[in-house]
Amino acid sequence: MVVLAGAIVGLVFAAISTYDFVQHLDRQVHSLHCSFIPGVSHGAGESGCQVAMMSPYSSVFRSHVWGGVPIALAAMSVFAFLTFYALDLMVTRRKDDPRATGFLAAATLLPALTSLVMLVISLAKLGTTCKLCVCIYVASAACLVGGIALWRRAVRGPGAEQGLPVAVVRRGSAAVDPRGRRDRHHEDPAFVGTAKTTSARLVAVGVATGAASTRFLAGMFGLGVAFVVLPIVLYLAMAPDHARFIGTCEGLPHADDSYGVMVRIARASPGGVPAIEVLDPLCPACRAFEQRLAASGLADRLDRKAVVFPLDNACNWMVTEATHPGACTVSEAVLCAGAKAPDVIAWAFEASDRIRSEAKADPAAAARLVKQRFPELASCVGSPDARSRLNKSLRWIVANNLRVLTPQVFIDNVKLCDEDVDLGLEYTLSTMLDRHAHHALAPAPLEKAPPGKPAPTRSAAPPGAAR
Amino acid sequence: MTLVRAAILVALLAIPAAMTGLWIKSADARLAGTAATPAEVAPVAAASDVGYCNPELKRILRRVLMSCGLVGGNAARGCQPIQAKNVATMSGHDFNALFKPMQGRGGIVQFDKDKSDLDATDLGLVDQVFADQRGASWFFVVARSSPEGAVEHNRELSKARAEAVMTHLREQFKDPDLDKEVGMLWLGAEYAQLETEFCDWKRSASGACSPEQLNRSAFVAWIDCQL
Repeated sequence: MVVLAGAIVGLVFAAISTYDFVQHLDRQVHSLHCSFIPGVSHGAGESGCQVAMMSPYSSVFRSHVWGGVPIALAAMSVFAFLTFYALDLMVTRRKDDPRATGFLAAATLLPALTSLVMLVISLAKLGTTCKLCVCIYVASAACLVGGIALWRRAVRGPGAEQGLPVAVVRRGSAAVDPRGRRDRHHEDPAFVGTAKTTSARLVAVGVATGAASTRFLAGMFGLGVAFVVLPIVLYLAMAPDHARFIGTCEGLPHADDSYGVMVRIARASPGGVPAIEVLDPLCPACRAFEQRLAASGLADRLDRKAVVFPLDNACNWMVTEATHPGACTVSEAVLCAGAKAPDVIAWAFEASDRIRSEAKADPAAAARLVKQRFPELASCVGSPDARSRLNKSLRWIVANNLRVLTPQVFIDNVKLCDEDVDLGLEYTLSTMLDRHAHHALAPAPLEKAPPGKPAPTRSAAPPGAAR
Repeated sequence: MTLVRAAILVALLAIPAAMTGLWIKSADARLAGTAATPAEVAPVAAASDVGYCNPELKRILRRVLMSCGLVGGNAARGCQPIQAKNVATMSGHDFNALFKPMQGRGGIVQFDKDKSDLDATDLGLVDQVFADQRGASWFFVVARSSPEGAVEHNRELSKARAEAVMTHLREQFKDPDLDKEVGMLWLGAEYAQLETEFCDWKRSASGACSPEQLNRSAFVAWIDCQL
């Protein structure tokens, strides 16, 4: 019963998580169900579920299909199988069969171990946990505990709790001690029960269809694989084609660096495809993009430069408030740093929460933090020259008619659409790089699809919103 | 029993497959819908256009800028006093009033009598004002002279003052857009002399602020208007 309950709970939460993932295939922004109560949506703001879903650990085959195949789908399938198997044990009355229950215990190891790995990743890599995931972890643990307990009870025998020895009555044979004194693997008992051997009185406790044979267990293993493979194959076959959106977003009409405002975001990558990233050094979405890009392994194929676009009204007239307080000062530091710009950007991403928080309370805090970390930039940050360079950076943004949004990424002047910078990054970027290698990467008009129900778009999110 | 087991198997096998299939189909339908509908998107980056840029100011600004060669493909650089008066078609007082809303965006670089050299304080003020461009599209350098001396001399003196500022900007900021955004006017002492109400502006000279001292100057300011 514990395994069945755990499997059903796991199935429900894995299904909710899969649903949350799959609905993003429409390239829009959606709220997530992130609660210990099934079906309850998370309110405004970034949740652990959001972080987990947008992380590279939420799915597999990310280069083959947009967004990848969600891990939650596999979890859903595994829990569906565990539910089936637990019910099957009940229907066939194999609860006391050590082999059948041993298989169940072994099967519960898969979600339990996966949950453990995902929990470690959550804590160590993402620094957060998602409520839905926690429910799945707990369900996995319940399945494992229940599975092991059932197996141990079966091994001890159903009468063990009453201190009764167990006997298996074979067809046409005498009672046999079931604790492995004989080769039971190929036996097919017609009756399993407890026996008070001293009085030779048999007490029937259940009717089994037979102890699990190796063939039965192999069949169940095959079914388990089918439970996982079938939905994944279906997912891969049905997933929408997102390649048609490549090249359909705005390009760069004036990509040249006439103002001398581009800085390296990473060390030069010889032979890399030229890429321009428009970023705010204190923008959480830019930091998350950087992490996703690093995890994708595609960064080495790019020769990246950055144009800073601080979403801070201290210098940026295009925003009415300081979305990221202190971003103007840190952007000046990036521009002042010259060859050390990648170091400043890396530090800004790492310390962005602290810088934003302190700069919100004290506008001078960002300059103080920059000068503490990079004393050599003290004379440059805040100088007319630095302010003028930052202004040129903003004018480059204006000259290219860019959206007031970060991050924005251009691969050889073709925009990586805003909808593709998170879940679809690996698929879209690798497709763009392949096209570039075949000289086929170019702006393309979007083929009009048949009219359908309109929906709010992702890019309608507030500038710099976590995406 | 076999039937029951089969039913359970089919039902549970169908749950992940069917639900995922339905969800994907639904997402695909929404995707087709949004592809056919114009997207609601974030605003496009643009130069600033603040409240004081009323249609009247823009009209005059356009005429001054065209006449002075900043817009419209005219290769001329700078305006002479008579031209400025003609294009503005207004009194000197009204012309100066146009700039009053820009007090926070400008400054007055004051020169010594009969001089056009910029000292360290003057340079500091020019740099400070110019670096604070934000989203402004136009930077005006309006040089004047005090009424002492001949008309022609004053005209040349004010031109030299405007050019001193421009030369410094060119050397200091190396801005490729400089010639497209900086408008110079040299007014001599003939037109739109500054009145003492401009003494409140940021100035490179401290202390007394007589009309003569105020007009031995180059007025610099960003104008946050789009044309």
